[in-house]
Amino acid sequence: MAEAIYDALGAALTRWTMGGAAAPVAPPAWAAHLGDEAGEAELRLLALSGQFLGVLVSPAPPEGLQRLPDVPVLAMPALPEAQRPLARRILRTLRDTGSRRDLLRFLVARGWTLHPGDWMPTVNDEDVPDVYAPWRDWAEGSAVARPGTAEALTERNWEDYWPAARSAALTALRRRDPAAATTLLAAKLGGEGAEVRLRLLGLLATRLSDVDRPFLESLSADRAPKVKALAAALLARLGHGSAVGEEAAELAGFFELQTKGLIRRTRVVAARPMKTPAQRSRRQILFEAVDLAAFARALNGTPEELVALWPWSEDRQADQALVGMAERSGSDALVAALHDLLLVQGNVDVPAMLILVPRLDAAQRSDFALRVLRAGGGTFQMAVALTGGESPLDGAIDTTAGTVLLGALKAEDAAKRADLTAELHALGLIASHGAAREALDRLARAGLLAADPRLDLLRLNAALEDGGIR
Amino acid sequence: MAIDLQAIERLATDQPSLKAAAGLAKPAKWSGIGASHDGALIWGECAGSGANPYRVMADLRDLGNKCTCPSRKFPCKHVLALLWLKAEAIVPFGAADTPDWVSDWLGRRRTGAAAARPAMPGAPVAAKDVRAALEVEPEAPEDPKAAARREAASAKRAEDTERAILEALDALEQWIGDQLRLGLGAFVDDVTARCRRIGARLVDGKAATLAGRIDELPARLLALPSGDRARGAVIELGKLVLLARAFRAAPRDADIRRAVASAESRETVLGDPTALRLTATWEVLAEQVQTRRDGLVSQTTWLLNLGAAGPRFAMLLDFFPASAGKRGSVFTPGDQFNGELVFYPGRMPLRALLLSRSPAEPGAPDWPPPAALAEMLSAPMLAEPWTIDVPILLPGGRLAVDATGQAWWRAAEGDAVLPVAGAAEGLIRGTDLTHAAAIWSGGRLEILAAQTPWGRIGAHG
Repeated sequence: MAEAIYDALGAALTRWTMGGAAAPVAPPAWAAHLGDEAGEAELRLLALSGQFLGVLVSPAPPEGLQRLPDVPVLAMPALPEAQRPLARRILRTLRDTGSRRDLLRFLVARGWTLHPGDWMPTVNDEDVPDVYAPWRDWAEGSAVARPGTAEALTERNWEDYWPAARSAALTALRRRDPAAATTLLAAKLGGEGAEVRLRLLGLLATRLSDVDRPFLESLSADRAPKVKALAAALLARLGHGSAVGEEAAELAGFFELQTKGLIRRTRVVAARPMKTPAQRSRRQILFEAVDLAAFARALNGTPEELVALWPWSEDRQADQALVGMAERSGSDALVAALHDLLLVQGNVDVPAMLILVPRLDAAQRSDFALRVLRAGGGTFQMAVALTGGESPLDGAIDTTAGTVLLGALKAEDAAKRADLTAELHALGLIASHGAAREALDRLARAGLLAADPRLDLLRLNAALEDGGIR
Repeated sequence: MAIDLQAIERLATDQPSLKAAAGLAKPAKWSGIGASHDGALIWGECAGSGANPYRVMADLRDLGNKCTCPSRKFPCKHVLALLWLKAEAIVPFGAADTPDWVSDWLGRRRTGAAAARPAMPGAPVAAKDVRAALEVEPEAPEDPKAAARREAASAKRAEDTERAILEALDALEQWIGDQLRLGLGAFVDDVTARCRRIGARLVDGKAATLAGRIDELPARLLALPSGDRARGAVIELGKLVLLARAFRAAPRDADIRRAVASAESRETVLGDPTALRLTATWEVLAEQVQTRRDGLVSQTTWLLNLGAAGPRFAMLLDFFPASAGKRGSVFTPGDQFNGELVFYPGRMPLRALLLSRSPAEPGAPDWPPPAALAEMLSAPMLAEPWTIDVPILLPGGRLAVDATGQAWWRAAEGDAVLPVAGAAEGLIRGTDLTHAAAIWSGGRLEILAAQTPWGRIGAHG
């Protein structure tokens, strides 16, 4: 009977949709209940139809419903249940992807991941730690499960991997067996799009050696200028930079080698005065295009000499441009020398050191972060920028930055200052487990309430045991 | 940290506030009293006129304070009462971890700006007197004639209201007939403007709840896929006809009156001996906050009864003006507590008031097994055919998507497949849903929470 009513209702619905009386075409089973008055009949039919459709009819599912695969379990455990509310609250306060990336790195450094009910990456979240790669691939809409990815990445199973998992596997392979990673990339890179080629090629920066040279040289014919430029920069790091070209010569023209001192004559690189902003802008463009070795040769020296003779601190923009050039195309030895040189500068140029960060190892970064915190003017936010939250620091509050923070928190306007909120958050990101507990004690003695939400990250840090990794 | 009554006296804006606070400074009015380990913060929940208790908190260092009540007085009587409880040690303030809602307030407040401004030293305090506030005023003897006059006036008002509502319902039916004659296709295209006109007529006719429902009708209709809207309009308008007819048949029926005119006051529900009272362990499923077209914000808290007896769900509903600003959440989804609720009388009791609550013992029971799906979907619609939202507990199932990305819930056993409202994103799309609690509304499921192999997750988990 319900079927018959449903079929008959089709005509009534059509009439109502277009506008008009539907009672004349009402389901026969209801006709006797509609009465004789036309307006009343329409309302009764409407009431019956609405109830019928609302209770007995629900939309039919379309053909081909797809069940999405399970959200994968990650290689690190999700935060303990007790800490999830705190993590959720912290997540709600993070305004940009950079802050969220720092939190994710901090957690991964401690062996934990976020619960997927609290946060999941999208496919475009490329800067999240590799441990989340399975979730990024899942978010890509992996309705079609690919074959097993448990085995190591090889040329044969390259296509079995989803992109994020493949990138993570290649990173791991590069750390474990650099030559194998190069061989694999040489075989498969050509089949990928320019953006992917660029990203995967960047993985070769880890454990770069002469073994990679033939492959990198083969990329001089790559279709994408950015890929070519990256390959050239990696070659330059190996000491096979480009010859002195027009751009290197033009850049060298902005500088000159001078001799200083009357008795003990020393050579220095001096910047020629620039007359217009356009010249400054052009010089900056050239710094970003020329490799270090070519620039040094254009000035008749070696990269080591160039760094040694450079007039540090006279022109911060030029300093940072040179550091950027070294980061991009300098050899490992030169970067190490530059790192040491920047450290002994009277007034450490933190922005310059930040440029060098991608080429520094974890110990160098932690060491420098501690120096920054101990020096006047250093902040916990600078330390986060240097370490990325990946290198827990002991004794963080026992630094000049800590003393400054404790003092500032006593000021009358402390509760209103967003910079102090950011400092407390940053302290939570860089402090080791013990340092976080110690900091909480000191901050409580300084008058902060334990429940102060500015201490959320420190509290999460102190509550998280190290070694979440299974 | 200590506080004395003199400080409360100074803090109060006037003597009536103190008087009201004295009435509230009784243990029976409060639950969830606590203090931070350092003793600086105190908090508690005080029964008010809404469905939810008010959350009251204070910082004893500077007497900064906050209450979720809508009072324009600052501090309100609830804050004064909380401080009074502390000053006189009327109830113990056990040291506990600071709840999130207190920490959230602490983060928002700016010391100095939001802190209470105790009257300046030397300011006269004689105008406010704690002892006077405690004095019980003798009740004036009731004048029987005045009482009779009041009753007669009240009866006359009720009669006038009923007549106005009936006239408004006539206008509503006329309007529905017009929509059918002009075509539901055109109605869907112009639904907002048309509903606004009849909504205004219903407000004039004292059918306030019905007016609010019609105000929200366009949003419900436009949330449906375009091909489904004419059918949705038939269901929505059909329910309105049924409700109008039900009111004409039984204008004094509490359920129907609530759906048309207004809900009973808290006092009426509390004083109704037939109202169901139930003490059980409850889980907070979700809180929905919606700014309505009439300028009110509705705050709906859905509770799941974890016990075996009584209604499976309860709904706590409060309204406050949007101009009052953002209001803190009363509950955190996933919270479990023991609580006594009193339900508004009805055929299918759902809306309730929270009378008291205390923390649930560790190891609270799991979600109960769901009833038969067809029965859950249809029983409330048959008992109250004008019902819009029906909370249901779904058996094991999983979401699947169609070619357009629309999500569907599919039962693990049997062939039930139901469409899911809105975009279901994240974990909920990629895991088994051992159980799920949802609202069945307009032929769509709105999932509130689910039990999964990953634990309990919310709608967007």
